[in-house]
Amino acid sequence: MTQPAPASPLFWRFNPEVYRLIGIKCKDCGHISYPRTKICHECGSLNLEEYKLPKKGTVHTYCVNWTPPPTFEPPITPVIIDLEGGGRYQGLMTETSTPEDVKVGSKVEMVLRKVTTDRGLNVYGYKFRLVEEE
Amino acid sequence: MRGKIAVIGVGMIRFGELFDKSLENMVQEAYLNCLNNVDKGIDPKEIKAAWFGQWSGGFIGQGTQSGQSLASFIGNREIPVTRIENACPTGGDTFRHACLGVASGLYDVVLALGAEKMRDKPSAESLGGAGSGGGAETGSHPAWMIGHGGPSIQAMHATRQMYELGYTMEDFARVAVKNHHNGMFCPYAHYQFEITLERVLSSYVVCWPLHLLDCCPQTDGAAAVIVCRADLAKRYTDNPVYVMASNVGVDHSQLWDRDSFVEQLATVRAAKGAFEMAGIKPGEVDFAEVHDCFTNTELMNIEDIGFVRKGEAARMLKDGEFDLHGRLPINPSGGLKAHGHPIAATGLGQIFEVVTQLREEAGQRQVKLKKGIGLQHNVGGPAFGVSVVNILSRTV
Ligand SMILES: [Zn+2]
Repeated sequence: MTQPAPASPLFWRFNPEVYRLIGIKCKDCGHISYPRTKICHECGSLNLEEYKLPKKGTVHTYCVNWTPPPTFEPPITPVIIDLEGGGRYQGLMTETSTPEDVKVGSKVEMVLRKVTTDRGLNVYGYKFRLVEEE
Repeated sequence: MRGKIAVIGVGMIRFGELFDKSLENMVQEAYLNCLNNVDKGIDPKEIKAAWFGQWSGGFIGQGTQSGQSLASFIGNREIPVTRIENACPTGGDTFRHACLGVASGLYDVVLALGAEKMRDKPSAESLGGAGSGGGAETGSHPAWMIGHGGPSIQAMHATRQMYELGYTMEDFARVAVKNHHNGMFCPYAHYQFEITLERVLSSYVVCWPLHLLDCCPQTDGAAAVIVCRADLAKRYTDNPVYVMASNVGVDHSQLWDRDSFVEQLATVRAAKGAFEMAGIKPGEVDFAEVHDCFTNTELMNIEDIGFVRKGEAARMLKDGEFDLHGRLPINPSGGLKAHGHPIAATGLGQIFEVVTQLREEAGQRQVKLKKGIGLQHNVGGPAFGVSVVNILSRTV
């Protein structure tokens, strides 16, 4: 209902971003924008370069959603991740035994997982799982 | 803008689950109430332009509305009518456009009207529709918005307010208790009953750390305001209210582009610009209607508008400073929490409340006026990146 279909132009268009994590970094202000853009969202500069997002980061904030959209099994744990070296990624946690395992500052990494199903087809994308402190 | 514009009439209907009323029914009732509210009377033909706030129509399957809808509903097709959609600030921004219309010198008398049908669809579908309006199908990253909506986005702010500011779920719940108390005295409020702190904290966890009773309801409603040239106001009413400032502020439209989750820059910018426009400081405002779509959001708004410093709102709320008879009453109408949140009608309903308070016609929920200045605020959008602030005053 609220989710784009797996075969939609949206997924085709954003393939490099969704699966290869291609974004941009502003050479003037350092802001990392994602998906790719021609104008820096932060400062308006056109002086940009392609930037591949790292897969590791820490939890900036999160919540535990007990009332997710119909195709999800509650609870789901949406997170905002501070990526290593700057930039943020918004996604869902996976492979947590209980939502209480997730904290502000928890170390995480991206893994490719099924995000949801739409009209019988699987939708894939990156989710985050907790990693052990080194 | 200051000194140029007056509100001469306000009208609304009781917000709620209005299964017996269509969009047209609601619009017409609010409009007629608004005309009747102009105490010396007004010929509807004196209205020379109108702006129609309408947010959800297309999203929840009720057909996309446009200016022609309002024109037909009020039986006036001789004037320009434009639809405004600007997320949760739609109502407040519809009012702003009416003010700009008069300030431009093009029109002497104009109408701002907002209406929303949110309850005809089951809750999940209605919320889901709002979610897609929030970015899932609008060209942003396809995977990122999946599973998101208003509650999860604000819950992620609440988590950070707890982490950075030391706020607690009790602090959030106190907002709901205060606003439900105020709503009891407002005949237009969706919810007119008291709740206790215990009841909020024992209600279902919708999206940790937010409980069901931390969230505003899905509501149907309509509200209207007639605005005119300040120097003509006394022709229509002995009790005009004047517009000191009307401003919109924006920030990033994606959460991951934003920096802080304990501050919403859209509100900061809307408020700063509005105070400059009005030539006043936040401390000169007697009371405010702010956008408490979720309880944690009200605390953030009070700080972002500049009434108090970041991190102080929770303690001051606990001390009763934002109560109906406190130092700075916040949401005397009951707020979105108790009064309801029919999106495009919300901001205009808040203007109705500010005008009613400034005219000292609010009965049991009347706040004490000092300077005779009231403020209205909305914030919303996919990353809560758009906000509106209107400041109204009893004197020119
Ligand atoms: Zn930049």
